[in-house]
Amino acid sequence: MASTRDIRRRIKSVKNTRQITKAMELVAASKMKKAQQAALAGRAYSQLLADMLAALASRIDESHHSFLVRRETKVRGILLITTDKGLCGPLNANLFKVVSEIHTPAKFVVFGRKGAQFLARTRRDLLADFPLHDRVPFSEVRVAVEFMMQKYLDGEIDTVEVVYPRFKNTLVQEPICRPVLPLQSLRQFLDGRESGTAAVAARADDREMLIEPSPTQVLDALLPYYVNRQIHQLALSAKASEHSARMVAMKTAKDNATTLLGNLTLQYNKARQAAITQEILEIAAAQFATA
Amino acid sequence: MPLTLEIVTPEARVYSDTVESVVIPTVEGEIGILPGHIPLLTQVNEGELRVAKDGRTVLLAVAGGFVQVEGDRVSVLAEYAVREEAIDEVTVEKAIQRAKEALQQAPTLEAAEVERLEGIVRFSVAQLALKKRKH
Repeated sequence: MASTRDIRRRIKSVKNTRQITKAMELVAASKMKKAQQAALAGRAYSQLLADMLAALASRIDESHHSFLVRRETKVRGILLITTDKGLCGPLNANLFKVVSEIHTPAKFVVFGRKGAQFLARTRRDLLADFPLHDRVPFSEVRVAVEFMMQKYLDGEIDTVEVVYPRFKNTLVQEPICRPVLPLQSLRQFLDGRESGTAAVAARADDREMLIEPSPTQVLDALLPYYVNRQIHQLALSAKASEHSARMVAMKTAKDNATTLLGNLTLQYNKARQAAITQEILEIAAAQFATA
Repeated sequence: MPLTLEIVTPEARVYSDTVESVVIPTVEGEIGILPGHIPLLTQVNEGELRVAKDGRTVLLAVAGGFVQVEGDRVSVLAEYAVREEAIDEVTVEKAIQRAKEALQQAPTLEAAEVERLEGIVRFSVAQLALKKRKH
């Protein structure tokens, strides 16, 4: 049996760990709340934006904008949204699993250090990695998205897809790969969207739509903007997932530490009692011998 | 039938109500929208947006975005939008100051950043103009 001093030392270290994980849990919880709010607040906006684009696309020839034309996919362009820091449970590992299943040629752009490390380790074609702060500022996302759009227009990549942890709820984050460009399936995408009742009611209005200054001009402004916003929304969702996953992981760690602490305390008390009993026995024996 | 007006920014839904009419600043000039307007999709400029409801006028400063009219539903997607009573002149002037200072180093900044700062300045100026007109 370990000596009482050893056990005491272990108890101390476990207590420290518990305190740290508890603090991290609280930090993650407050960040999570903010991130979730941000993700939800942006949802109305991106939905409306998609609605507009859909309304526009159904009234205009789809073939003249390069974002709308599907071409043969030789090289996929994938934006991987990961975290900078670890300690967030299986979040990143799940994303990497999705990436590992990609066997066709692909080029990567990455948010977050973990993803960059993974891609370097697995020797994949990493075009660039971008930093992403906790608040997910639009300007940071835009830099990366613009970079990808440029590559797309140059023909270096033939699709733009985003691999990210979709935020379902605090306990469940689902790693998915979501195609963003080309938007050629706009109409399909529109049908999925029709379920929104407001949109259906509005579409009952079938008069000719006036588009000012001109359909092409509006489309040119709306499309890149839409892609930016869309990916920004995904990044927000990824951040909410990150903080949720971290909070859950830290909570589990804290609970484990508490259980461990209980066991150790029990062990310590047993050892202490055994030592005392031993001592009494020795004294009694010594007295017995001298008497 | 009244109009349903919705003003949404990336941060929040700023305004959502049924109104009688709305005047929107667009790239082609100000347009007034009444019930029964033909479907329209256009770009929004920075400026003031006037909403008429129950004989009263609500003013908002908006900047950058799109507006869609379909049926009696008007959706405004704006980069920025703020209600007149929420505008604080002091903070707005400070914002202009900061943005202009940052713009001093324009050559070292990225194009997107310059664009963003200029957007802030334009929106701030629009806010001030709106506030001044009111008083």
